This record gives sequence, structure tokens and C-alpha cells, in this order.
Amino acid sequence: MSDISQAEAGITGRVAALDEEVRKAKILIVDDMDLTRKMIASSLAKGGFSNFQYAEDGDHALKVIAQDQPDLVILDLNMPKMSGYEVCKILRADPATQGLPILVQSASEAPEERVQVFASGATDFVSKPINKSELLARVSMHIENKFLIEDLSAFKSHIGDELLLARSMQKELLPQRAFLREIEVRGNLRIENYYRASFELGGDLWGCWRVGENRIGIYILDIVGHGVGAALNTFRIHATMARFQELRVDPALFMNQLNGELFETLPTGQFATMFYCVLDIDSGDITYAGAGAPRPLIIGVDHGVRMLDSDGVPIGIIKTPDYRNKTATLSKGETLMCYSDVLIETRDDVGEIMGQDGFAAHVSDISRRVERNILISNVLKEFFDVLKGDLPDDLTAVGFHRGSKDDTLLNPEVQSFLNQLHQNGDQ
Amino acid sequence: MEYRIVQDGENATVVFQGDITFSENVGFRQMLKNLPNKNMTQCVFDLAGVSMVDSAGLGMFLIAKEQADTVGWSLKVQGATGHVASMLKLTKLTEVLEG
Repeated sequence: MSDISQAEAGITGRVAALDEEVRKAKILIVDDMDLTRKMIASSLAKGGFSNFQYAEDGDHALKVIAQDQPDLVILDLNMPKMSGYEVCKILRADPATQGLPILVQSASEAPEERVQVFASGATDFVSKPINKSELLARVSMHIENKFLIEDLSAFKSHIGDELLLARSMQKELLPQRAFLREIEVRGNLRIENYYRASFELGGDLWGCWRVGENRIGIYILDIVGHGVGAALNTFRIHATMARFQELRVDPALFMNQLNGELFETLPTGQFATMFYCVLDIDSGDITYAGAGAPRPLIIGVDHGVRMLDSDGVPIGIIKTPDYRNKTATLSKGETLMCYSDVLIETRDDVGEIMGQDGFAAHVSDISRRVERNILISNVLKEFFDVLKGDLPDDLTAVGFHRGSKDDTLLNPEVQSFLNQLHQNGDQ
Repeated sequence: MEYRIVQDGENATVVFQGDITFSENVGFRQMLKNLPNKNMTQCVFDLAGVSMVDSAGLGMFLIAKEQADTVGWSLKVQGATGHVASMLKLTKLTEVLEG
């Protein structure tokens, strides 16, 4: 069977009928010999291609490419004015043509030349004299690959845009800075808050809301897993919580109610660990309930750390977890810190997990070294200093620093906001 | 995570080693398929060799519990120490899993 009849019967090693898109592909044939250009075009035409451009030398080829970029270039190496190597290098240096498939044809069989061809940026190599069916098979493969990569890149970029949008929507679930400033001003608090998803989207959520005139509710929750699935559940839980506004004053009741709803809807194996407290910003009294969230810490003025008992079956696992309210006090000058489990579960450089107690001691230690109102930032800084590689899980860390009698704990940013409020006639 | 299933009459023990975390989801489900489901009355998860379990790992235990209830065997969790023991205590899951 001759090369040509093989081509007519289909392309060796390829599907019999080329996809229409591939057949329409624009191919630039670069060779100083008119006869070779025609021979290559005729071989490709037998395989169903018809959209050809021609150039007689490297210089000419670059001009054609700049004017109307082809889908693939078949390039001779030894040409007047500019060699094929030069053309390869120039095309690879330009971002617009970096991915353009270049099929180099050469008469030399020397391995050194092949190495040089690939080093200059060629995609593939065909020997002269040209075997027509091999040429057709290689051209088809590289064009198919190019279209596939373009499709994948477009898909990736589309998904990337979607995730970006979803990410900004998820950020909107978190308390906004202006609202937190109001709370800071009203309660003589300094709030440090940090949220980062390990993937584009996260399964962590925290929130803060007013409960009557002098109390605020603070919750933190972590939905099993991370990524899109967990993120969708954060929206589900956020929406469900919004329905129980009248129960916000009572953490145990609120969480029992939330559990009742989510127990019905979350599939087995999915659940949320949670901590929810109501803080009286005048007295510092805390009422709280826990559903297996890492134990929140109260860091005392003396740097001693008290752990809140957040033991409880996570939300969504059993029908009646029977959450109970417990109490604590956040005295003036103390800090309430809530955080997600990644801080206590990540391995350090010797492979050890800090664990709950180790973390509490670590935070206590840091609190001795830094200003109280930047404690959380410093805990995170040390965490990221030690972290090897990517963040393994979503990270949330929130600190509520209660001002002591004499200091206002207000940083300049908050102070300027306060001034602005006064200027506007607000209190 | 690595595991070994040891069968002794109607009882089976799954001896786990390493971390049981989010990324072990597929392996864990495969382990559940490999259990001699129809031929056992009790399955023990031996966690003595496990140094870390995250919330996704606990989620997998709950899936095992569901399978136990569906097929009709009982689940027992033993040997947890350190962080694994704290996680089970924090989330009060031992009772749920063995209930």
C-alpha cells in the first residue's frame, strides 16, 4: 500500500475521519523549495486538510505568523535569510506563539541535530525525504492536541472565573469590616479575624451578630472536608441559621434547632463542628454551647489560658444531641480566641501534632511576647513560618480582645473610624 | 492510612496505621467494601497505630457506622490515644459509633 492510498484510507494510528475542526486547521508550510512546499500540501490535502499558508524562508514565515497565526507550522531547517532554529527560538520567546506547534523537517538523521531541534523549541520532528503518512499522522496529532489544550485552557479559565465569583460570594458570608468596627467601638473590643480556604472555597465559617443592645453572638463552625462540596454546605448552614434569629440569645437552643434542621438534610459522613457564644460586652459574661469545635481559649491578663468546654456531638449527626449552655467570663484585658482545627492538627517540622493542650500553651507563650491586640496575627505568623507546603485545611482564627479599664485597645484605624463617626454626627 | 483486616470467626478487626484524613476518603470506602460484611457480627476499629484523625476521618467512621446498622454488625472503636482520643472525646463520637 502506497503512502497516498494509506492516507486516503485514513491516517495511520488516528481515527478514520478527522474532526471537522481539525480539518479546517490552518497550516503554514515553510520551505525554500517550491516543490517541497507543494508536495507537503498535497500530502496533507489527501488527509482532508485544505487551509494552507506558505513561506519561503524564516523571515517570511515570521511575517505570515505575525499577520495571521496558523494552527501549526511545518518548518524546514536549512533556509536562506533565517534558519529554522532561529524561527523556533523567536516563536518560543513570544508569549503569543509560545504554544504554537512546530513540526521541523530535516534531512539529517544525526541525533545531535535532533537534540538541537528540540532545544530550540520545536514540538516534533519529521525526517526528509518525507514519509507522507507519517507526516499526516504527526500533523493531525499535534493539531488535535493543540485544540484539546485550547479547550482545556478555556474550560479551566471558565471554572477559574466561576470559583472566583463563588469565593467572593463566600467572603460575603463573613462579617464585614465596617460591622466589626461598630462592635469594636461599642464594646471597647479589638477584633482580629482571619479566614483562608485551603482550596478556592472553604468549609469554615464564622460570624458575629448583635443580640439586643449590649450583647453579641459569635460562632465558628467547620464543615467536614473542604472545597466546593463543603463550601456549598456553608451556604446551606448560613441560610438555615438566618431562620432562627429569635433563638440567637440562647446558644444551646439555637444549636439544637440548627441540628434538627441539618440532621434531616446532611448526608451521612457530613457534619459541622461548631461553637456558639453570646458575650455581654458590658459585663464580659459568656454563655456558650459546643458541638465538637476546637476548644476556644480565653487568654488571661497574666497570660494563663483557660479552655472552654466545647465537647459535643457535631451538628447533623444524631437527632437529639442535647446541647447545654455553659458559662464563662471574659474579663477586661482578656482575649477570647476561636479557631479551626488546622491550627492544632498540622504537623510541625519533626512531624508532631501540637494538639489542643500544646496549642493552648503555645498561644500563652506568644501572648507573653507580643502586644495583646496583635496576638492572633502573631499566632498565625508562627503557624505559617512552620507550615511546610500548602495549607492542608481551611483556616479561621478570630480573637476578641476586651479593653482593660484604662486602655481603649483601639488601633489607629479604629480610632480614625470613630472620629469619622463623630464627624458625621453619629455616636 | 494503611489498614489490615483480621478475621476471627464472626469478629473482624481493622488495624489502622497512619493518619485518617480527608485524603483517605477513597481508601476508607474501599476498606468498607472489603470487610466480610455478611459474615461478621462485630467489627473493631483498632486505632492504636493512628496518630491523627481529622473531621473528615470522623465522617468516615460515621459512614462505617451506617453500614454496620444497615448490614447488621456492631462497631467498636478501641486503642485511640493522643490526638485521636481527644478528637473522639471532643466530638463525643465513641457513644454514637458504638450505640
